[in-house]
Amino acid sequence: MGQTLTSKREKNALVWFGQNWIFLFLLFLVILFSFVGRGFFSPKTLNNILISSSPALLLAAGEAFVIITGGIDLSVGFVRGLISVLSAIVMRDLYALGYSPAFAISVGIIVGLGVGLLPGLVNGILVAKFRVPPFIATLGMYGIANGFALRLSQGFPISFVPPQAREIGNGFIAYWFPGKGISFFAPPEGISGAEVRHIVGIIPYSILIAGVIIAVFSFILTRTQFGQHTYAIGGSIDAARRAGILVDRHLIKVYMISSFFAALAGVLSVLVFGNGAPTQFASSLELFAVAAVVIGGASLMGGKGSLTKTAVGVFILSVLEIGFLMAGVFPFYRYIAVGAVLVFAVIIDQVMPELVYE
Amino acid sequence: MKRSLLAVLTVSLLVLVLVGGVLAQEKAPKIAYISGILDPFQVLIGEGIKDKGAELGMEVFIAEHPKAWGPEVQVPILEAVAARGDIDLIAIVPTSQEALIAPLKRIYESGVEIITVDTYLGDGDYSTPSEWSFPLTFIGTDNFQGGVEVAHRLAEMIGGKGKVFVETTNPDVSSVVERVEGFKQGISEYPDIELVGVEYCLDVQEKAQQQVAAALQANPDIVGIFGTNLYSAQGAYQAVVNAGLKEAVKIATWDATEELIQALRAGQVDLVLAQKPYEIGTLAAEWAYKYLVEGQEVPKRIVPGFFFFTAENVDDPEAQQYIYKLD
Repeated sequence: MGQTLTSKREKNALVWFGQNWIFLFLLFLVILFSFVGRGFFSPKTLNNILISSSPALLLAAGEAFVIITGGIDLSVGFVRGLISVLSAIVMRDLYALGYSPAFAISVGIIVGLGVGLLPGLVNGILVAKFRVPPFIATLGMYGIANGFALRLSQGFPISFVPPQAREIGNGFIAYWFPGKGISFFAPPEGISGAEVRHIVGIIPYSILIAGVIIAVFSFILTRTQFGQHTYAIGGSIDAARRAGILVDRHLIKVYMISSFFAALAGVLSVLVFGNGAPTQFASSLELFAVAAVVIGGASLMGGKGSLTKTAVGVFILSVLEIGFLMAGVFPFYRYIAVGAVLVFAVIIDQVMPELVYE
Repeated sequence: MKRSLLAVLTVSLLVLVLVGGVLAQEKAPKIAYISGILDPFQVLIGEGIKDKGAELGMEVFIAEHPKAWGPEVQVPILEAVAARGDIDLIAIVPTSQEALIAPLKRIYESGVEIITVDTYLGDGDYSTPSEWSFPLTFIGTDNFQGGVEVAHRLAEMIGGKGKVFVETTNPDVSSVVERVEGFKQGISEYPDIELVGVEYCLDVQEKAQQQVAAALQANPDIVGIFGTNLYSAQGAYQAVVNAGLKEAVKIATWDATEELIQALRAGQVDLVLAQKPYEIGTLAAEWAYKYLVEGQEVPKRIVPGFFFFTAENVDDPEAQQYIYKLD
């Protein structure tokens, strides 16, 4: 009697650990780097991680939807680049024609997000209606999106967008100046020179935009019928069909969500850097998105995954990158570390359920 | 009878060859330029060849500019130029160190001289015999030397002391690797300057921003950053501004594109190295003339200089010619 209770408790503890180890792992990394990374434990590093992770968070969140259905979307990195270039061109040209910055930026964003649905629509139709394996369908779109991006940009960044774009992309909700108080939406006035570096930004807009949208879609995934159907399709596509789910239409929507998120990442990058840049081949953005989703506990076989944990996956990759850098570790070792963490994550997800069911 | 016929034939052939030779001597040499891609830098090389060629009385043919960078687009254009049959020398920007060797060698063997400009074949060393040593010369920037000069200029801007950082793109692209190596070499001459790191952003701006922000946090006293191209410089600038260090940190970068010149005017970067595409072109035409007409020997490697843009000289009239833009 007593023994079963303990083993049950142990089992529960194991299940809990299996499900939540990545939160602990992230915490462990933060503590570790706070000791070994020079200047790591500070609000500036936090802001650095938040700002620079925003586009990756969006790519990974979209990718998570597709992976939960048992598919994969390899096109997200280049869709991001295409939309970055396209929306920057719209902003630049409207601004050059004399329209107001607000108008130019808004139209650029709307055009970018609108066109950003198209690659997903095509991917979805190919996968759902023509039964093209997702790997191939989205690999095709990978090339097509990149080709269009290079055609539009000639391989060079699109500059000369309204300078206000950068202010949105790099702004904070509030600014705290130690000893002088807080100001909202704009840095406190009358501070110049070296004093500027003491200002602490609180919640960058870029993470706010990414965070709110991911929260909405996380709600959709966990609390609505749409979300349930997404998991059901990933669990067993035939069972989902028999249960009366309109699988084809659902898959098309899921691929559109993925490319919408990629488009959002592209638009966001224009706001942060004030230019539109085609994605470079070496950057492997789609693979890092897949890695974050898998570290977040999703299975490439489908049916499993969560946006919250995917976000933790993105932060783990980001913390590894920044932490090793600040600890002075040579860059090439970081690639090794990231690879090792990815494999480690999958092993834990494989081993834990077995331990639990033993 | 037979013998006299042979003699007549031989004599007339000789006469033909001689007359032909004399005629060819009088005809102005004709040179062609084939660029790597349609962009201001490559077009400016062509402008240089055209202007200098005209000045020296040569005919210059500028081939259609490829719409994308790569041998699959460039080789058909090259073949079309060679098929004209009236070209004495081709100046080309090879879009692949390997893939252009065979087609160019074929054309060279048919009697057309080759000069490579901006980029090169093989390892770029034409002075020792090899499969790719047939071109007359390689005229282009020395990335290593450029890195050394950036180091000296940046050192001067930061007063010869403090910490510096390098944000670069890829660990496997020779041009940027050479820039970084040159920079290291240049900086090593300053005992009071410490290079605190080299990071690779893979041409992703947010990665550059993330890495520079982290480096600034770990070493808040960094005073100079070398961003080896636009993306790395842009990411570095954004990180510096977000850290409130805009006045304290100098950023040096490479290539005088309009974007970077604009960034220099806006105070986002402090030093821009400009290669001299127009001068690459004029050198190509000049050496083509010296070889074809005067019979001079051509050095296997010709290095044009650099121009450095700073906030002080960016609006000088004489500096404008070094911006990569077309009028």
